[in-house]
Amino acid sequence: MFQPLVFNEKTCTGCNNCVDVCLMEILEANPKKGKPPLVKYPDECAYDGACWMRCPQREKWAIKIVPPLPMRVSILRGEKP
Amino acid sequence: MKPDIEVIPVETDVLVIGGGLAGCMAGIKASEYGVKATIAEKANTLSSGCAGTGVDHSWAYIPPIHEKMGWTIDDLIEDHAQLIARGFINKELLRLVASENYSRMLDLEKFGIKIRYEDSKIPGKFRIVYQFHSLPSSFNFDGRDLKVKLTLEAKKRGVNIVNRVMMVALLITDGQISGALGIGTNNGHLYSFRAKTVVMSTGRANRLTPNVTGIWGNHRIPVNETGDGRAMAFRAGIPIINMEFLSSGYYSIGNYELNLGSPRNTVQPAAAVTGPNGEIIVPRTRFYDWENLGKEKVDARISRQKMLSGNRNPRPSYEQLKQQGEGPFYLDLTGGTEEEIKYIEWSIGNEGKGSLFLDYLKNQEGFDFRKDKLEWLPNSREMAGTASSGLVVNYDLETEVKGLFGAGDDVGGVPWAGAPGAFVMGWRAGEKAAKEARQQKVFLPVDAEQIESLKKLCSGILQSKEGQHWREVELAVQNAVDYYAGDVRAGNTLRRGIERLNDIKKNALFKAENPHELMRCLEVQSIIDNAEMVLNASLERQESRWAPFGFIRADFPQQDDAKWLTFLALKRKEGKFEFSRIPIRQ
Repeated sequence: MFQPLVFNEKTCTGCNNCVDVCLMEILEANPKKGKPPLVKYPDECAYDGACWMRCPQREKWAIKIVPPLPMRVSILRGEKP
Repeated sequence: MKPDIEVIPVETDVLVIGGGLAGCMAGIKASEYGVKATIAEKANTLSSGCAGTGVDHSWAYIPPIHEKMGWTIDDLIEDHAQLIARGFINKELLRLVASENYSRMLDLEKFGIKIRYEDSKIPGKFRIVYQFHSLPSSFNFDGRDLKVKLTLEAKKRGVNIVNRVMMVALLITDGQISGALGIGTNNGHLYSFRAKTVVMSTGRANRLTPNVTGIWGNHRIPVNETGDGRAMAFRAGIPIINMEFLSSGYYSIGNYELNLGSPRNTVQPAAAVTGPNGEIIVPRTRFYDWENLGKEKVDARISRQKMLSGNRNPRPSYEQLKQQGEGPFYLDLTGGTEEEIKYIEWSIGNEGKGSLFLDYLKNQEGFDFRKDKLEWLPNSREMAGTASSGLVVNYDLETEVKGLFGAGDDVGGVPWAGAPGAFVMGWRAGEKAAKEARQQKVFLPVDAEQIESLKKLCSGILQSKEGQHWREVELAVQNAVDYYAGDVRAGNTLRRGIERLNDIKKNALFKAENPHELMRCLEVQSIIDNAEMVLNASLERQESRWAPFGFIRADFPQQDDAKWLTFLALKRKEGKFEFSRIPIRQ
């Protein structure tokens, strides 16, 4: 139903750190070595960001966590300070 | 699916069930006494528990600053007992947490956590802000990687960490703990632990009601904390207290549920809650005037009286205000200075999901605290006040079962113990469990029948062709709790709720395709047990206890301190509930 995690094929090295730390056990190592993990249970994601925090390629956007629409915050935009 | 389940036997002197803050502290401390310690963890200790992705603060009595303020340890205890818990607290355990947490903060520094800052004007170079109490007592630190550091420390000391095992049953031999059983969440093996002592530290009971946004995993408390500890204790006939205190939903940074709580929490010191035209609903606080530390002595007794008299006529809740046509409400930092906002961003980045949240706000929403405001929206319901419900323990964290100890949020009676409770109780439980294990020469025999029965249960779920997916059962239970143990409860509806839950139990037949789904089924079993405790305890408490729990019985609208200023303990004996009351010493 949701796609909480998007892996970037170009920057993910397939180290599987994210698979190891995932609180909810939703990820599975890709059978193809060096490829991004598979999101086996996307609708069990806890949006805690442990995978993203432990990603050595975080700066290169190897993992992007995208909150589904009902979770996106409600913002009152202000003028530039 | 393999018809038979492989049994993995493990022997350890001390078994710690649950490797969050309390569990890791217990394992680390136990290792100092020459015993073999094992932590069994459902996920991975690197990221599990309420502090899995960070904790940035921990209330404590900090002698180098509080002595200068003229604030004593008794003042902190009275502040917490009265302002936070309204007298509904185990003061002995509160004293333990209050007086030892500063030492635990210094231990964290030894484990590689940064707790001192060059730019600080506070003695010790600490960072301390206001939170719960009448004086600043919230000790801030770089806790984003705390669980990684604690895991490394435990491993360095030779603690055996067994990840991806969900513990489900306690083994008790002649009134004494003899081990515990768990299921491998990705291999489906049955782990049979024989242990001389056990520390229970699985954390809170979550997922008892449907989620407020409809996104299943969007909870303030980790979604995999399903009250497994209290559920297995309950199944073993051990008393649990305060299960009636399932809170009503409250307001916080809406939608994306965070451990940021209220402006009196992680968004210190510049956050206010404001209305649509900037009118102030909750005023902001400020940094303490550290340059003048010690010049003015505080009389905590008078400040407490002032705060309590204000609270006697409490400001209406956001929900009440909304029903009066007020709102929307915003978390508003726009009045903060650059220094204050930078401090808050640092603080949020070290707390809970804050690190990811800040990244999301910046990169996906283009949000800036300096000009933009976040709407305050309802949160999902949860068991009130951390460590308020759970096991009954004494000052040494011992339960009534010899050799079984409790720690952290699995212990009841210390509302809002939070991280300090986990650090202090984990440490002490680890020490006591290790010392007791050391005195015991042999392992007790374990009950082979219990192992066979768990094997049968799990292989039954794995082989079942018919039955329900765990989510179907979970939703049925959540809907029942939400309706029958809602914001306002009453005897007749609670009795009906218990009947409905019994029907759900009768009709629920779990089926699982693999060990991962089996784990979820076992979690839902924990949720059922917790729901049963919530409904039955709610029925038994014949009064309303507004503050601090918001427990409201329409048929008993008054708070009745003469009869009910007591912890309500419930246990299951021969299929029936037994209640007892534990007096609260003031």
